[in-house]
Amino acid sequence: MGRTVITITQQLNETESMLSPFRRTLRRSDQYVFDGLFAAARRHIAAIGQAESLLPFESALLAMLLEQSKEIAVLQQKIEELIKKNSC
Amino acid sequence: MAEATGWLLDVYAEEDGITLWLLTDDDKRLCLRMDFDITFYAAGDFGLLRQAWIYLKEKDVRLERTIRRDLFLGERDVMAVTTSNPAGLQKLFGELQRQFPSLDYYDADIPITLRFIAQTNTHLLGRCHVRFDEKWIQSIEPLSSPWEIDPTPIPLRILTLAPDCNPAIRKPKQLHVKYGQREYSLSLDLPRLFMIGLKADLQRLDPDLILTDYGDTWLFPQLSTWSEETGIELNPNRDEHRQVLTRKADSYFAYGQVTYRGVQSYLFGRWHIDRRNAMSFGEYGLEGAMEQARVTGIGVQEMARKSPGAGITAMQMLTALGNGIMVPVQKQQVEGTKTLSELIRADHGGLIYQPLIGLHGDVAQIDFSSMYPAIMVKHNISPETVGFDKLNPAGLENAPEGLIPKTLRPLLEKRLMLKNILSDLNPRDCRVEILKARAAALKWLLVVCFGYLGYKNARFGKIESHEAVTAMSRELMLQAKEVAEDMGFTVLHMYVDCLFVQQEGFRKPSDFTPLMNAIEEKTGIPIALEGVFKWVAFLASKRDARVPVPNQYFGVFQDGMLKYRGIELRRRDTTTWVRKIQLAVLEVLARANTPHEFANRIPEVMALVERAKRELRTGRVSLEELIVRQKLSRTLDGYKSPSPAARAALQLQTKGRQLAPGQSMEFLFACNASGVHAWELEEALDPGRLDTKRYFRLLDRAIRTVLDPCRPLLVPERLL
Repeated sequence: MGRTVITITQQLNETESMLSPFRRTLRRSDQYVFDGLFAAARRHIAAIGQAESLLPFESALLAMLLEQSKEIAVLQQKIEELIKKNSC
Repeated sequence: MAEATGWLLDVYAEEDGITLWLLTDDDKRLCLRMDFDITFYAAGDFGLLRQAWIYLKEKDVRLERTIRRDLFLGERDVMAVTTSNPAGLQKLFGELQRQFPSLDYYDADIPITLRFIAQTNTHLLGRCHVRFDEKWIQSIEPLSSPWEIDPTPIPLRILTLAPDCNPAIRKPKQLHVKYGQREYSLSLDLPRLFMIGLKADLQRLDPDLILTDYGDTWLFPQLSTWSEETGIELNPNRDEHRQVLTRKADSYFAYGQVTYRGVQSYLFGRWHIDRRNAMSFGEYGLEGAMEQARVTGIGVQEMARKSPGAGITAMQMLTALGNGIMVPVQKQQVEGTKTLSELIRADHGGLIYQPLIGLHGDVAQIDFSSMYPAIMVKHNISPETVGFDKLNPAGLENAPEGLIPKTLRPLLEKRLMLKNILSDLNPRDCRVEILKARAAALKWLLVVCFGYLGYKNARFGKIESHEAVTAMSRELMLQAKEVAEDMGFTVLHMYVDCLFVQQEGFRKPSDFTPLMNAIEEKTGIPIALEGVFKWVAFLASKRDARVPVPNQYFGVFQDGMLKYRGIELRRRDTTTWVRKIQLAVLEVLARANTPHEFANRIPEVMALVERAKRELRTGRVSLEELIVRQKLSRTLDGYKSPSPAARAALQLQTKGRQLAPGQSMEFLFACNASGVHAWELEEALDPGRLDTKRYFRLLDRAIRTVLDPCRPLLVPERLL
C-alpha cells in the first residue's frame, strides 16, 4: 500500500513468471527442483530487500547458493557422522 | 455572578459565539454560552491579497496584516480574518476560497472544539470551573489535564435503546430500553403510543448518552418519520433549539479495504453513539472512545464514528495551535526528487523475516513497545526535520523538537504508564477492562500516526519522514538480532517490531531478561517480553511447503494461553462453526507440553473433527453458526465473475435492497443455482439444501492448517 517500488516478493513472482517458458520445457522432475530454487530465494526475502540492489535477482541467486551450501554442509556432517559410526 | 465546577461534555458553534454543556458536581446539566472569536489566515500574492481584503471589507469581519509561522516555509506575511460568528465560518471561508482559489489558507477548517481547547486549555470531558452571568461565561479555568492517568469518572446517565432484531432483515416489534439496572421494552406496534412512551422516558431520565443499536441507520430516521405521521414532536436533543444533525452514508477506501459507513445522527447537548455504526466501538467501547475524545479534542460522538486518523490529525492541529504554527487547509509538501537507487533505498517497509518452518519448543517472543512512535520521539522524526541528510534517516540532531514528536510524546508516555499499571494489576481486578480499553484506544492513535506521515492528504505528512521511521526500525531490528545472536540465541523469526528467540536450556521468563536489557541498551527503545511459548508453530505456504509464511503462526504460552495469527480463526470471513472447531482443536493441542507431545494429540483431534462433521450432517448445527461474512469490494455491476458475497447481494437486490461497496454480506452456502443464500432474505433456507460438502472443505482446510506442523517434511529445520 502506498509503495512506489514493487516489493521483493512481487519482483521474484515476476521473474518466476518471466521464466515460465523455461520451466515448462524442463522435465517434471527438474521442475520440482527448479521450484525449490525459488523457494530457497524466498526464505531470504528480507535479506534480498536489505541489499537495496538495482538488480535484486543477483541477491536472489546468492540466496539460492546459500541454501545449497547449507544443504551440502548438512549432508557433509551426516556423512562424517556415518563414517565415524562405521569406523567404531 | 454564578459559579460552577464540573465536567465539560460538549462544545458547538453558534452564530454569536459557542454553546457549552457542563455536568456539574451537584448533578446538574448546565447550558452555557461564551463569546468566541475565530481567526483564519490567507497568504500569497500581495495583489490578490489586496483584492481579497477589499472583498472582505463588505463582510462582518475584522482584518489585520500580520506575520505567522508556516511549519515548512517559516514566517509568512498573512492577512488575518477574524469573525465573531463561528457558525458562519464555513460559509464565509467557502465563498472566499471560491473567489480567490490560488491563495494559501490556514486555520480555516479547524473543528470548533480544538479552537476552544487551544484558547482556554480546557479539555473535553475534563474538569473545569466557570464563572458566568446570565448563562454567559465570564471566565473558565481548567482543573484537569487530558494526560491524567486516573481521571475522575464522569457520572454519566446512559440510556440504551436497541430493537429486538436487525431492522435491515425484519421489521422490529419492540425497542429494548435499559437505564441503570432497569430494563424494559416498548412496543412498536402503535407508533403513537411508542412516541409518547419514549418522549416521557427521555424527559424523565434526561440521559447524557443515548447508546443505540441501529440508531443511526434506523431509530432516529424512523423517529422523524413517526413524528411526522403522528404529529407528536419528539426532539431527542437536550438543546431544544437544535434538530438532529444527519450526515449521509458513504463508502470509502482506507487501510487497504473498502469500508461502508451508514447515515449518522448527531445530537446537541447529549451524545448519541450507534454501536453498530461506530468504527472501533467493538474494539475499545465507550471507555476507549471517551479516552480518545479526551486526548484528541474531538467530541465523543464524532470520535466514536471516525477513524483514529481523524483523532491524530486533531492532535497535530492542537500542537500546532499551541505552538503558534498555522494549520494549512491543504497539504503543501510533495515527495522530494530522488534518483532510482535513492528511491530503492528509501522505499521499504518494516523488516519482515521468513521464519524457520515447523514446531519449536521454549520460544520467547519479545516486542519493542510502541516501536514506531518511540522512534519518532527518540530520533525527532517529523516532516519538517527529515530529508536533509540522505545518509542519515533520523531527524536533524540538535534541532528543536518537531511537531510530530511533540504531539506523540505525552500520548506515548500515557500509554506506557497505563500498560505498566495493567501489568501490575491482578487480571481479575475490576479496573483491568477499563484500563485495557483506554490503552487500546491510545494504541490505535499511535499506530495510525505512523501511517499518516506518509498519507497523501495528511497536512503534516511527508513521505520522507514515513520512510525515515521504517529505515530506523529495520536498523534497530538488525541490531537486536545481532545482540541476540552474540548471546547465543537462535532468531527463529522477526516481524516488524517483535522477535522470536530460542536457546537450549532457556525456559523461564527471567532467562530472557539479560537479552532484553542488552537490546534495550543497544537500541534505546524499550522492549518487553510478550511471553515464553511452550511451543510455537510457524507455517509453510499452502502452495509450496518449502516456503515459509511470515504472518501465520500459532502457539501456546507457558500459562496455557493460546496465541494465533493469520490462521482461519483470525479471519473475519470464517464461519463461527469452523472457528469454534479450530479453536477446540488448538485447545486439545495446547495440552502438549513439548513439540514431541504434539503428534500424540492427533487421534483426539481427528475424533473431534469427525464428531463435528457428524453434527453438521445430521442437522444439529444452527444455521447462524454457518453464516459466512464477506464484504462487497465494488458495486455489483463492477464484478466480472461475481464472488459469493456479490451473488448474495444480487439476491437481495432483486428484492429491492440497495447495497453499497464496503457493506458486509451474510450468506450460507447452499445447493441452488447461485450456490449461496443471502441471510437477510425473508424466506429462510431449507436446512436440507445446505451445501454441507462446501462446509466440510472449509473445515478440512482449517484443520490442515493446525496439523501442518506434523507433516514429515516440516520436521524442525535448523540453521547450522
